Amino acid sequence: MQSRSLRITAYTLCSAVGDGTAATLAALRERRSGLSKNDFGPSPIDTWIGRVPGLEEQPLPAEFANWDCRNNRLAWRGLATDGFIEAAREARDRYGADRVAVVMGTSTSSIGASEEAYTRLDPDGRYPADLRRPIIHTPHSLGDFVQHALGLTGMSVTVATACSSSAKVFAQAERLIRTGLADAAIVGGVDSLCGSVLFGFNSLELVSSEQCRPFDVERRGINLGEAAGFALLEKQAPGGAWLLGYGESNDAHHMSTPHPEGVGARLALNDALRRADLRPEDIDYINLHGTASQKNDEVEAKIVADLFPTATCASSTKGWTGHTLGAAGIVEAAISLIALEHQLLPGTLNLRVPDLACGPQIQRDNVERKARHALSFSFGFGGSNCVLVFGRDR
Amino acid sequence: MSATQSAGERELAELIVTALNLEGVTPADIDPEAPLFKTGLGLDSIDALELALEISKRYGFQLRSDDENNVRIFSSLRSLAAHIATNRVTA
Amino acid sequence: MTLRVAIEGVSFWASRLPGWDIARAVILGEQAAPEAPSARPSPTLLAPTERRRAPDTVAVALEVAARACEAAGRKPSDLPSVFASTHGDLAISDYMCSTLATTPTLISPIKFHNSVHNAAAGYWSIGTGSLAPYTAISAYEYTFGAGLLEAATQAICEQRPVLYVAFDIESKGALASMAPSRGLLGAALVLTPVSKSEQQRGLILTTESVAECQPTEARSAAAPLVADNALAPCLPFFEILASSNPRTLSLALSRQTALNVQVN
Repeated sequence: MQSRSLRITAYTLCSAVGDGTAATLAALRERRSGLSKNDFGPSPIDTWIGRVPGLEEQPLPAEFANWDCRNNRLAWRGLATDGFIEAAREARDRYGADRVAVVMGTSTSSIGASEEAYTRLDPDGRYPADLRRPIIHTPHSLGDFVQHALGLTGMSVTVATACSSSAKVFAQAERLIRTGLADAAIVGGVDSLCGSVLFGFNSLELVSSEQCRPFDVERRGINLGEAAGFALLEKQAPGGAWLLGYGESNDAHHMSTPHPEGVGARLALNDALRRADLRPEDIDYINLHGTASQKNDEVEAKIVADLFPTATCASSTKGWTGHTLGAAGIVEAAISLIALEHQLLPGTLNLRVPDLACGPQIQRDNVERKARHALSFSFGFGGSNCVLVFGRDR
Repeated sequence: MSATQSAGERELAELIVTALNLEGVTPADIDPEAPLFKTGLGLDSIDALELALEISKRYGFQLRSDDENNVRIFSSLRSLAAHIATNRVTA
Repeated sequence: MTLRVAIEGVSFWASRLPGWDIARAVILGEQAAPEAPSARPSPTLLAPTERRRAPDTVAVALEVAARACEAAGRKPSDLPSVFASTHGDLAISDYMCSTLATTPTLISPIKFHNSVHNAAAGYWSIGTGSLAPYTAISAYEYTFGAGLLEAATQAICEQRPVLYVAFDIESKGALASMAPSRGLLGAALVLTPVSKSEQQRGLILTTESVAECQPTEARSAAAPLVADNALAPCLPFFEILASSNPRTLSLALSRQTALNVQVN
């Protein structure tokens, strides 16, 4: 069975730069970063983060109290933005609650709630009463919450392949729709700041004490961020951008280091272009993974320099949002869609002197020009790679 | 074995074998002058981070990954044990 | 909507049912389960560097993955794979939460890089040298059915055999009260879009909207041996595979969506 193009009839995102596509577009235009000095938790390490303000004061509505935690609050913020929840409910009414699948991506889901429980164990070593809610202490917390929040009854799955999670959801949803298991799908991803990732990436010495500088010769590592993003995929619709293809692969190399030649990443790219029936020359914009880690950026820059014409614009938007891990796929898919919709190809914030591996494709400054096709690259721990292809038209 | 381990080297060898769960290696087997990384014990960069953490817990001082002397410090059990002997905070 | 696939290989591993041959015999009542639990399997396909870092999740997942490929006569590196686990690495989650609560700057980098839900899939791809895509999913109590459906979907969409691996391990510490799971349990299948021989069992998968799912219950002598593991809902499927008779069972995909599986 050939993979088929799907309409993206609604999408949204919520990150440190703001809630929704308009706020994101404005931040991109104004080159305004969402990064701030790390103030997360009682003993913050010296780094910058992309923090979404206000989550502490925004519990979930009472009917969803069982799912209440930082990650699901962020999911709810995202659903409430850009009228996404209304679009999702319309799709539910149109197709049936059992015919709209939920495929969510996350890296750590609501582990932050488990972390909090461990700081407040009772004298017998048990969870505090307010956190004795099993659903928020398991990875599927996110997929289960989104399904309930949207009143859906069909399939709901959480994909957790680290930083490629919410890119791979597009592929899984396309397969569900192609085989007729669903008529439409809510895809997306949410990851929220928590001790596990801040101190975990710190233990690997991958976090930067300054604002992250993707592709810069003096980059010093990543900044972690949190975000939510969602898209509604349908077989047929009168309007909307297109998911034209996807490619998945892995590196078979190392758990926390990319393959030096990017073998897996190239496979994913080729697979994505093949499904979309496009060539590198057809690609106007690439939203790169561009974490500002030494190795990722070097490998990724080489791939772009090797395979794309100089007319292709490529950039990393991590300088705006930070690395939102399991949400990075959907956040950068949404930014790619914004780029196509508004013909604004974002550059790379904080990039001053490009790494020697960078070709002319990698842009420091924003570019305003006609753009028809965009790619989004997501590469993660465990060597998992995913490339998505979006089009304004088909 | 090409050289004998000192008491400090033996203690460090035990820490390395335990912390990195080295299979089929007993602490006494580690040649104090052989390379720890790549060709020797086959350790890699994430092992270096793990080892640095365990050393900081046991000996109370931080090994910095951006220390330009790391190649020398981590070159063998002997050189690492000597660095610990000079820098340790805890007895 | 109906999906048809065939099973090329089956494997199963639990602490008291260490291997599909033993599990099948216990399910069929042909033999009693061993009294003593087996030690965790050793992921021998990994190079020493990865093997010494492999946690229990990786050990049990790689064991069943390798055995299923063997049974199918397939080279592991040729197969895309779907890894499903209800809770992922519960022992590492407990470690991370405990350490963060006391000495957060002393997080072990090795444990952190093993904490990702796709650790087993990542180690598998490194050990087998497979560049074929893998995924790693979770769907709480619906995990086994969701993974089976994703593996079947991939086999049909891409017209190639797919490895499906499901596993859960024992929970530790305070988290055990929220995510209870005992022992190690892993199971794997190689699914193919077309059956090549009469001996292969065929699966016909259909989804159905229901008022409330009533999944088929396990009823063999193997049931009490894995009942405490989070992946226990997979057992009825393997009980049917153990017998050579065609049967139908129901797995849950959500509270109101059933996955009906006809095993020929």
